[in-house]
Amino acid sequence: MSTILTLTLNGRTRTDLVADNLLLIDYLRDTAALKGTKRGCDGGECGACTVLVDGEPQHACLTLAARCEGRRIETIEGIGQHGRLSPLQQAFRDKLGAQCGFCTPGMIMAAEALLRRSAHPDEADIRAALSGNLCRCTGYVKIVEAVQEAARGCRTGLGQPQGLAHAIGRSLPLIDTVEKVTGGAAYTADLTAQALVGRIFRSPYAHAEILEVDVSAARALSGVLAVVTGADCDSAFGVLPISMNEPPLARERVRYRGEPVAAVAAVDSDTAERALQLIQFRVRELPACFTSQEARAPGAVSLHENSPDNVLREVHDEFGDVKAGFEQAALVREERYQCAEVVHAQIEPHATLAQYDPERQRLTVWSVTQVPYYLHLMLSRCLELDESRIRVIKPFIGGGFGARVEVLNFEVVNALLARAAGATVRMNLTREETFLTHRGRPQTDIRLKLGMSAEGRLTAAECEVVQRGGAYAGYGIVTILYAGALLHALYDIPAVKYDGYRVYTNTPPCGAMRGHGSVDVRYAFESLLDTMAEELGLDPFALRRVNLLAAPVQTGNGIVVNSYGLPQCLDRVQEASGWHAKKGRLPAGTGIGMACSHYVSGAGKPIHRTGEPHAVVEMRLDFDGGITVLTGAADIGQGSSTVMAQIAAEVLGVDLGRIRVIAADSALTPKDNGSYSSRVTFMVGNAAIDAARRLRDVLVQAAARRLDADPAQIECFAERFTVAGREGAGLAFREAVAAALADGGSISTKGTFTVPLEYQGGRHRGGAVGSTMALSYSAQVAEVEVDVDTGMIRVRKIWVAHDCGRALNPLAVEGQVQGAVWMGMGQALGEETRYDKGLPLHASLLGYRVPSAAESPPIEVHIVECLDPNGPFGAKEASEGSLAGFLPALANAVADAVGLRMSELPITPDRILEALTRRQRDMRQRELRLAAPGAPS
Amino acid sequence: MTLPEFRLLRPSNLSEVFAARRAYPGARLLAGGTDLVANLRHGIGRAPALIDITAVPGLGDIAEELSSLRIGAAVTLERLSNDPLIALHAPALAQAARQIAGPAHRTLATLGGNLCLDTRCIYYNQSAWWRQSNGFCLKYRGERCHVAPEGNRCRAAYSGDTAPALLALGATVELGDGTETGWVDLESMFQEDGAAHLRLGDSQVLLGVRVPIRSGLLAAYEKARLRGAMDFPLAGVAVALRREEDRLADLRIAVTGTNSRPVLLKDCEALVGRSIDEKALQQIDSLVQRQVKPMRTTLTPAHSRRRMAAALAVRLARRLWGR
Repeated sequence: MSTILTLTLNGRTRTDLVADNLLLIDYLRDTAALKGTKRGCDGGECGACTVLVDGEPQHACLTLAARCEGRRIETIEGIGQHGRLSPLQQAFRDKLGAQCGFCTPGMIMAAEALLRRSAHPDEADIRAALSGNLCRCTGYVKIVEAVQEAARGCRTGLGQPQGLAHAIGRSLPLIDTVEKVTGGAAYTADLTAQALVGRIFRSPYAHAEILEVDVSAARALSGVLAVVTGADCDSAFGVLPISMNEPPLARERVRYRGEPVAAVAAVDSDTAERALQLIQFRVRELPACFTSQEARAPGAVSLHENSPDNVLREVHDEFGDVKAGFEQAALVREERYQCAEVVHAQIEPHATLAQYDPERQRLTVWSVTQVPYYLHLMLSRCLELDESRIRVIKPFIGGGFGARVEVLNFEVVNALLARAAGATVRMNLTREETFLTHRGRPQTDIRLKLGMSAEGRLTAAECEVVQRGGAYAGYGIVTILYAGALLHALYDIPAVKYDGYRVYTNTPPCGAMRGHGSVDVRYAFESLLDTMAEELGLDPFALRRVNLLAAPVQTGNGIVVNSYGLPQCLDRVQEASGWHAKKGRLPAGTGIGMACSHYVSGAGKPIHRTGEPHAVVEMRLDFDGGITVLTGAADIGQGSSTVMAQIAAEVLGVDLGRIRVIAADSALTPKDNGSYSSRVTFMVGNAAIDAARRLRDVLVQAAARRLDADPAQIECFAERFTVAGREGAGLAFREAVAAALADGGSISTKGTFTVPLEYQGGRHRGGAVGSTMALSYSAQVAEVEVDVDTGMIRVRKIWVAHDCGRALNPLAVEGQVQGAVWMGMGQALGEETRYDKGLPLHASLLGYRVPSAAESPPIEVHIVECLDPNGPFGAKEASEGSLAGFLPALANAVADAVGLRMSELPITPDRILEALTRRQRDMRQRELRLAAPGAPS
Repeated sequence: MTLPEFRLLRPSNLSEVFAARRAYPGARLLAGGTDLVANLRHGIGRAPALIDITAVPGLGDIAEELSSLRIGAAVTLERLSNDPLIALHAPALAQAARQIAGPAHRTLATLGGNLCLDTRCIYYNQSAWWRQSNGFCLKYRGERCHVAPEGNRCRAAYSGDTAPALLALGATVELGDGTETGWVDLESMFQEDGAAHLRLGDSQVLLGVRVPIRSGLLAAYEKARLRGAMDFPLAGVAVALRREEDRLADLRIAVTGTNSRPVLLKDCEALVGRSIDEKALQQIDSLVQRQVKPMRTTLTPAHSRRRMAAALAVRLARRLWGR
């Protein structure tokens, strides 16, 4: 049944014939072609589709379009005026209220509803009004500030051109935020194309031998243009050349519930859905292993023939004399820790669009990738298509956090469908499928033993880590190596032994996630440090201070530390948090805790060792005086394109407005190794400096000729070329450009960067992992309240100091650090995946509890600038290093508040209650023993 | 994730609503739709028609009567949260409403919808693929309860937040079927069966709620949940009490999120006439722990939810007594 619907949409009346069961979100996105309203979940869980109906915020994904008869609908596209930003849009831009931008339209609409109702809301009002809108990037801090700013009605004018100032070291809005706050940013699912709909048939079995995948009925269904199965691709893919073992569509065996088995491309989603129902899947079920313990037990069924014991990789490293270290120690303690599996939960669900031209055998793919280059390689491999016939384009990306570094099965499957159909196919995964695709941080068991002197000086560390890796190798080898490698380089530890086991299980494959490999081990390490500090009667800050490194230094496992701002980080957060007045002195149930963490600024060795430079940036200058930066680095919301623009403007001494960045389109931009391991600012930034300097040299040469001076005497700043020590106006930038162009037309330069060999890791097996040119350092303090009746924890405030070297854009650094700390908070307090015989129980944004604005605390960021000699302008990593520290800071604060040492993550209310019960029982038993006759007195 | 086919009916008065019910057996009533549409999107339930009742006059009204408050079933949760009459006579109901889901749900969702909220379970509130892969369940299309496989009834948990507040306040509900209308105790609308927790006939429509106004009655609602918004209650508790000098004159406690229905605790009268001291609080604790029966329907273990429910009841009783 259909209805004639008349409504007012962004001030204009329109009439459409709509089906009774059409949702408002589909009406807006498909009928009205307004793509600013985003779909982030499978129904009413994320708020990304919030629109105003008669001025009230509503989820467009829960509203039937036909019920909007006569209503006034406002979307993100309608709140600006005459192309100018509304006060809220302006504030979200200026205050970095948008990072990836995917939640932004819904967030702004929810905030708009609030400000219309209440002109001067306080912070609690704002957090409550936004509590149904999930954001995964910002930790809500800058969103709240943006709403406050808009409510105040003043504009900072951050976005205005400021041609004469330095572009580096200044807080600037991201160069692509206007699109994000107006709904104009086209994410993969927003791209306009006449496309078929691709859908995946997924295994209902956790482990089974495939007997038959009968797709004949599906193929025969009218409206189905292509069906593919494992028979259509015999290449396995994977991120590491040494362990590619994942088929895009299962062959012979399925190894986890939800694994892709077949896929269809049809004229519409209903037809595609019907086709999936017609697929006959016959198997012989096999025993399955859902935990590391089950998988490693004797006699357990093997998931992969080449790993009979289900261990993908064992690592055994020892640096220094661990035995001697423990013998020297005055105190040795050993504890076990368990960390639940967590996942990125970026608000944009996975999506991809593939266009295949059968006449010329060319494939173009738009996808949600952090590394277009890896996708390019794997498409070529799996489709057996020459790389020259493939083009990969990265549209706006709604967050990555590591989920999209690896090539993901659906990206290959959709390309297979496009080729089979000889057409364009769009595949938008549901939120559940996005969870099934997974690549999260593995469930991890840790045994940690530390030795220290009476003064708290570490003498030795011994750590065993077991990671439940899921069904395929993926990043597994790197993750298990990182867990050991980053035991080093935070403190000075004379001897470190590490044993790691990466285990295959019948669960979705794990991968890289923000703080890759380091996070769970850091939680264990910093927790045990506090336990031991207490025993030794040492203040936690003092304990860290006696174990500092003395940079420059090379660690036992070969990591070079040139810049080390940890001492300053400790000082800053200790003072800002009022540590001495609070530690051990807060009322019962309230506590304060601290911890430190660190992370690499780009992995020293690339995964594909081609001999090429590690980063390449090109710059072009033509008659218009505009500078185009061409980079393969993927801006996924972290602001890498903005960094490139800032660097170009700084080196060339020009207004930022002259710079245009074209990123991540393999037809236009140089290859880049992608956005992972916090490498982009450091490596691509250095390449950008190189490219910009070469471009400046060309201009300086031309200017020198025009000014009749030695090029060495030419200075360029604020769009003017002058001769050192000479009076006069010199040459305007445009004049220099004209002079340079006269020599040979448009100018192109190229800059490169390669990590020198001495920074590519130790010589031991796996030594490349953990290697880097520079590390970020972080210290943080968390203040919490623990409700001993319900087990609920409330984080009151977090203070964090992060050493990022030179803060190229302090606003962006703060945003990254807040996002990292907050993501750590999610893992520490409530996020966890759960499976029932391999079926995910958490695969929604209600089941997987990404924190809301309501309970998220203020996060105060202190930037420590300990310049690194090799970083671009001295800059280092800013987006990962502060994540890991939060987990132990919280655990330590809980210990301070209620005396409980929580050794299992997340620290949920039920775990608190259980621990309280356990303690009570232990105390009672102790009392009984003491009261018993004959007890020692 | 598209919705199944259905016809959308938008009756403009009550008799059209009843006529639509007769014309479309199996049709579902649609108010805010925040629960129903989400479930339909997950392939849970099918209906030949949805009957949108929000245009029916009177269902969206709040009125003060002689000694009670009459609240129409289609009053939104947003309105309940902020309405001055509710704030004056039934603040516990406003507290409950405010703690439901997020702001953009509350502008749509209604009191009637929240009272009639479908029960929830980790084996039920999943996608069609998921439930099929798991062999479905007793609540829908299956034969086995994955929560309690040895039992023969569905254990899905009732999760409405307004029901305990209304139970504690002694509310009655108005039910109509087109031929007659009548008021019954809210408690009698529910039964302990997750697959059929509402005791409403096919033709019956929940029209409104009546909350008695009783001077001196103090009531409050609080829920345990992991996040400060969005989450359904792990346990939600309403306590209503009346204090006369140093003795308790009346006590009602209701709990949601633990059973397949909202539970109005029995035996609270045993405490009437006494003062709420630590011993009485302990008794309240054990009353709750004995009578609620959370099962493995959420990711949070059942025994913790039982404990949370008891802790909240004790906390609210202490707070209201001391006010």
